[in-house]
Amino acid sequence: MATVENEEVKGGQAKPVGAVLVVGGGIGGMQASLDLAESGFYVYLVDNAPTIGGVMSQLDKTFPTNDCAMCIMSPKLVGTGSHRNIRVITHAEVKEVAGDPGDFEATILRKARYIRPDKCTGCGECAKHCPVTIADSYNEGMSRRAAVYLRYPQAIPKVYLIDREACIGCGLCERVCLAGAVDYADEACQEKIAVGSVILAPGFEVFDAARRPEFGYGVYPNVITSLEFERILSATGPHRSHVLRPSDGTIPERIAFIQCVGSRDKKCGNDYCSSVCCMYSVKEAVIAKEHVPFIKPTIFYMDMRAYGKGFDAYYERAKADQGVRFVKSMVSRVRQQQGTGNLIVTYLDDQGKAAEEVFDLVVLSVGMTTSQAVRDTAARLGVRLNAYGFCETNPLAPLATSREGIYVCGAFQSPKDIPETVAQASGAAAAAAGGIAAGRGTLATKKEYPPETEVASAEEPRIGVFVCHCGINIGSVVNVPSVKEYAATLPNVVLADENLYTCSQDTQEKIKKAIQEHGLNRVIVASCSPRTHEPMFRETIRDAGLNKFLFEMANIRDQCSWVHMRQKPEATAKAKHLVRMAVANARLNRSLGETAVPVAQRALIIGGGVAGMTAALRLAGQGFAVYLVEKEELLGGNLRNIHRTIEGEDVQAFLTDLIDRVSAEPRIHVLTGSQVTEFGGVRGNFTTAVTTAPAMTAQKIQHGVTVVATGAEEERPEGFLYGEDPRVCTQQEFEGRLAAGGEEAAGLREVVMIQCVGSRNEKRPSCSRTCCATALKNALALKRLNPAATIRVLYRDVRSYGMLEPYYAQARREGVLFVRYEPEAPPVVAREGDSLTVSFAEPILQEQATVKPDLVVLSSATVPRENRELANLLKVPRTAEGFFLEAHAKLRPVDFASDGIYVAGSAHAPKLITESVSQAYAAVARACTILSKENLMVGGVVAVVDGERCAACLTCVRVCPYDVPVVNLRGEAEIDIVKCKGCGTCAAECPARAIDLMHYRGEQLEAKIGALVEG
Amino acid sequence: MIDGQGAAQTGAVQADAKLHQAEGQAGFEPRILSFLCNWCAYAGADLAGISRFQYPPNTRVIRVMCSGRIDPAFVPRALLAGFDGVMILGCHPGDCHYLSGNIQAERKMTFLKKLLAGEGIGAGRLILDWVSAGEGQRFAELVRDFTGQIRSLGPFRVTPEAEGTLRAIQTALEGERIRWMTGKAGELLEKDNVYGERSDPDRVREVLEATVRDELRKNRILRFLETGPLTAAEISGKLAVPLKETLPQLVALVGEGRIGFEPAEESHQPRYVKSG
Amino acid sequence: MRLNYPSNVKVVKVPCTGRVDMLLILKAFESGVDGVYVAGCMEGECHYLRGNLRARRRVEQVKKLLDEVGLGGERVEMFNMSASQGQRFAQFAREMTERIRSLGPSPAKKNKEVLP
Repeated sequence: MATVENEEVKGGQAKPVGAVLVVGGGIGGMQASLDLAESGFYVYLVDNAPTIGGVMSQLDKTFPTNDCAMCIMSPKLVGTGSHRNIRVITHAEVKEVAGDPGDFEATILRKARYIRPDKCTGCGECAKHCPVTIADSYNEGMSRRAAVYLRYPQAIPKVYLIDREACIGCGLCERVCLAGAVDYADEACQEKIAVGSVILAPGFEVFDAARRPEFGYGVYPNVITSLEFERILSATGPHRSHVLRPSDGTIPERIAFIQCVGSRDKKCGNDYCSSVCCMYSVKEAVIAKEHVPFIKPTIFYMDMRAYGKGFDAYYERAKADQGVRFVKSMVSRVRQQQGTGNLIVTYLDDQGKAAEEVFDLVVLSVGMTTSQAVRDTAARLGVRLNAYGFCETNPLAPLATSREGIYVCGAFQSPKDIPETVAQASGAAAAAAGGIAAGRGTLATKKEYPPETEVASAEEPRIGVFVCHCGINIGSVVNVPSVKEYAATLPNVVLADENLYTCSQDTQEKIKKAIQEHGLNRVIVASCSPRTHEPMFRETIRDAGLNKFLFEMANIRDQCSWVHMRQKPEATAKAKHLVRMAVANARLNRSLGETAVPVAQRALIIGGGVAGMTAALRLAGQGFAVYLVEKEELLGGNLRNIHRTIEGEDVQAFLTDLIDRVSAEPRIHVLTGSQVTEFGGVRGNFTTAVTTAPAMTAQKIQHGVTVVATGAEEERPEGFLYGEDPRVCTQQEFEGRLAAGGEEAAGLREVVMIQCVGSRNEKRPSCSRTCCATALKNALALKRLNPAATIRVLYRDVRSYGMLEPYYAQARREGVLFVRYEPEAPPVVAREGDSLTVSFAEPILQEQATVKPDLVVLSSATVPRENRELANLLKVPRTAEGFFLEAHAKLRPVDFASDGIYVAGSAHAPKLITESVSQAYAAVARACTILSKENLMVGGVVAVVDGERCAACLTCVRVCPYDVPVVNLRGEAEIDIVKCKGCGTCAAECPARAIDLMHYRGEQLEAKIGALVEG
Repeated sequence: MIDGQGAAQTGAVQADAKLHQAEGQAGFEPRILSFLCNWCAYAGADLAGISRFQYPPNTRVIRVMCSGRIDPAFVPRALLAGFDGVMILGCHPGDCHYLSGNIQAERKMTFLKKLLAGEGIGAGRLILDWVSAGEGQRFAELVRDFTGQIRSLGPFRVTPEAEGTLRAIQTALEGERIRWMTGKAGELLEKDNVYGERSDPDRVREVLEATVRDELRKNRILRFLETGPLTAAEISGKLAVPLKETLPQLVALVGEGRIGFEPAEESHQPRYVKSG
Repeated sequence: MRLNYPSNVKVVKVPCTGRVDMLLILKAFESGVDGVYVAGCMEGECHYLRGNLRARRRVEQVKKLLDEVGLGGERVEMFNMSASQGQRFAQFAREMTERIRSLGPSPAKKNKEVLP
């Protein structure tokens, strides 16, 4: 039995330390940090790199949505960097973690940066002047950067650093830095911090392709890695997204992708599958073709592992509509053609025949490995790794490392993609918080503000304008003094001033003083982008007692001086226009209130399977009451049909233990035989009616969050004589027979398993994800009972991703036969006299084969439980196949678009137990961001309705992407400010203009436009 | 930037030099610009006069206080103006009136010679040497020898290519980054750097050379693109630099937003254009 | 990236292009601008799910209106771009400036009664 419970601090009398150390600031580390900080814990986020963002910051697009990676990630970057309860420590490593869970002392070594973070404004003058250039690792060495640098333009923290190894010490950067941020005397320093738990999220590094010399990486210039290709495709890449090959800068027409480089490879010790390469190669092929239509991509693969949600549809589309060619094969080597720089790829095709083909560019789909630095850190921290260098975890407790109080998530646990990393990161946050729940709120701080000065809308605006030189970034192009003088002439401006750096700490003090001295009630800063700096200035004026919405910004750097460098007079004129626009808008800015709404600090969980029960226990462990609603009389869900994991863990013992603990937990109210019949309210305050059989007693539950964990089940297959012949069964039925006793199973002489029954077809295009693993598990179990049994697995692709791959290898070693079939020619099960026959096409022999097995096992699809009605009640969307649809496929894998409702387990998509457990923890972390707060602040930028003018035409109801507006009993549209996200679509569309969006009111936008033109 | 006075002086002798260019090859009379330091070389030249030592009339002299004053950017400027050679004469090592101005000059000119050689202009049109106040004879000999040397090299023709290269060199040498480096390199070779450590001299030289070379090549590429879009291969041909070394410059220029790609891209060979 | 584009382009920030209504675009012409373009997220990547799709529809409608009143539908345009496509932004800014330059000043400037 796994120690699922090691996150609970045992016997600790003293309160645990309410802080968490997160190691690694990639997408996983950021998610874990944000979840923890939002639920009352203080976070130290330590990253080895000079900036957070990890590998995701290098990606161009993400599958299967083709979202721009940087676009979807940058809000998380900014959120992490500016959160008051997250301290980001970059360019640093964890030396030691001493002590016990709940009371660790971590030693952090901060490496010298030579640029003072408190002074650096990120203007980049230093890098522009630095005489040194070296290969830029952000672009995988395909471009060059200075010795003083910022890893990438959107980096957080936006603080440069000096690469000491490259720097020759000439001193020019110090000379040109007007902020005085360069400090050559900087030294590495150690710091000790107290934390209650630790999360390891150090990510991966890509496999060193030079370790497969037969592919010529590092020898032939036109053989590159997939990460290099990713950078080539990127708009911030070496050629600004133009696809050019390295040898001669021409556009390659024929591009080969070679899969499994450094994965599924015994020779280099990486027996595992890297899980993501199939999909990223399809994505890169599709995107390359989008860039240049004449590109002809070919993907050389062994098994196409498109096992995630929506992946198969993406793969099929690439194959059918987007002209990506897929060749099932084994590539043996790559040679360079004389003179052309082209490459000859030699491979064995599906039928075992050798073939050769010429390509202009070869992309090696490199796998994921753990870097030496991370292995060293793990060793220092006393965390055990598995044979392949990934963190050792138990399948039933995937977030716990071998050391109590230290948790893990992301690719360091096992290779995985972004959504699974994000889900696991939230999960690790919940696990880390679970052990130190008593310390919640002890270290995280809430800021105290002075009371707000009332600014009535009738009150005459008194505007202060601060124009920024930004060193020379603005000042060298825009005539700042003249902009300042101009600003002073504008209506209601009582003060205009200029600063070298308006964002510096002393200027903040200056602004605060000016607010007091001049009685300012509006503040305008003309400098850089509000996207990065508005939060800080808002904070400043709030400190001085002004409502934060009375602040306004004019972007005269990013959208003026930087882009009109060679048109100085025009740039100055434009800067004046922009300031005039800001003034026109500021005059109309109003204080906007945010109201506190109390939170019902209880959770409702729908579904009592492994995900639901795990979530219930974890929430209860953090001190919250939970209502666990289960339709059936018994808890357990699909887990009741599973006996062992592929790793050999006893699932039934695990289930019994779970049920016992759920039943014994006083904070969990189990409602079996119950269903949700009514649902209403918003995040923080839901009301749900639950009806319980047999008496159909009804009760209403008030709760702050809702977790949907209704699960999935094995489909009753159609055809293949299932239900007609007792010798045809499903995998779950077979597993039951294997578990029931050896005798019957041991007597089996010959078994045929048929994969993808009911999956990956027209009716259900998705892969059911778990059936390959189940088939391997059951085949191995039968081999243990009867090594002589002949087992044939008829498959389309064996999708034993991640750490499942070694079991596939084991099955082949033990003599299990794997025979591929095409969907056009599926196996046929028939009866011939008393015998059962299975006939199928034998691809190697290229003939039809017929066998007479004792048993045919169908790997039937996983389908969601009946959930249509529930989806309607909760107003949450489902996929075409009936699984629940998350808010964002990549970065919000357990959230619904409606706040406060989460999804966990197989209700989201088919999952292994270990994945359901991770996701259940994730839902808990997300839920705690609401439950841990006594009040939620609502209001600000939201739409408001003028009831008088509303004609109840329902336009707003129709256009709102979040279904917020409703027409109330008075016949007027009503918009709940708790739910409104502030996009303003309703305001733009309302025929009577009865709706307005606060802070972006029609009057304001019109005033801005007017101000841009006049004069 | 070249300072006003220096520019005016170079300009004044420039008209003279232009005239000569029209004369053509027949009866080629080299035009040589000499920079003489006030304390040694200029005095040496005067002594040659006092002593009536004869030397060819091909050189025009600009007096500077110290050979250390010679901005490397003056040299391409002189060649562009129509001179066939540039001569810089200072005090002997150890005799400099300003302690080390001549040594600084030597460092700068050695570097510049390497650059001129590398970019196809040739190092033979520039000479740096020492003449003391008492060496009138030596001054006359040096002028004679250098005039002979230039005579054998022939007139310096400001072809469009040469003009492009020289302008690129001049722009590069006038940029702050390179001026800092050329000035700083000597100090870095002799003293501790900002970290209180001694920099690796090879690395310093390598950075200096690479900085100037890259700047120069980038400037030349920008000039090529003024006349219209070009492929990487064409640019490499014009630069007379292998494609392998040309591509990184193109990547850098694209990264700085100074060049881009021609929008139409049916061809396999994308063409670069100057950014608007 | 310090990309250069004409200074004629002035930006009005909105939370989502879905906030931009037809009247607002028309008001802009009334105030005397010569051209308007709406720049939103790539289709399918709207932060607010589908605000950009609605904006595109409205821009199309304004185009028709402008054609009808003789201002010319080419004076208004909808562009989609992602946060990392600075180059694309600059390119659109240049294209649009060129387009408006060739169309000349907006007739609405001189003759305000063209618009309601």
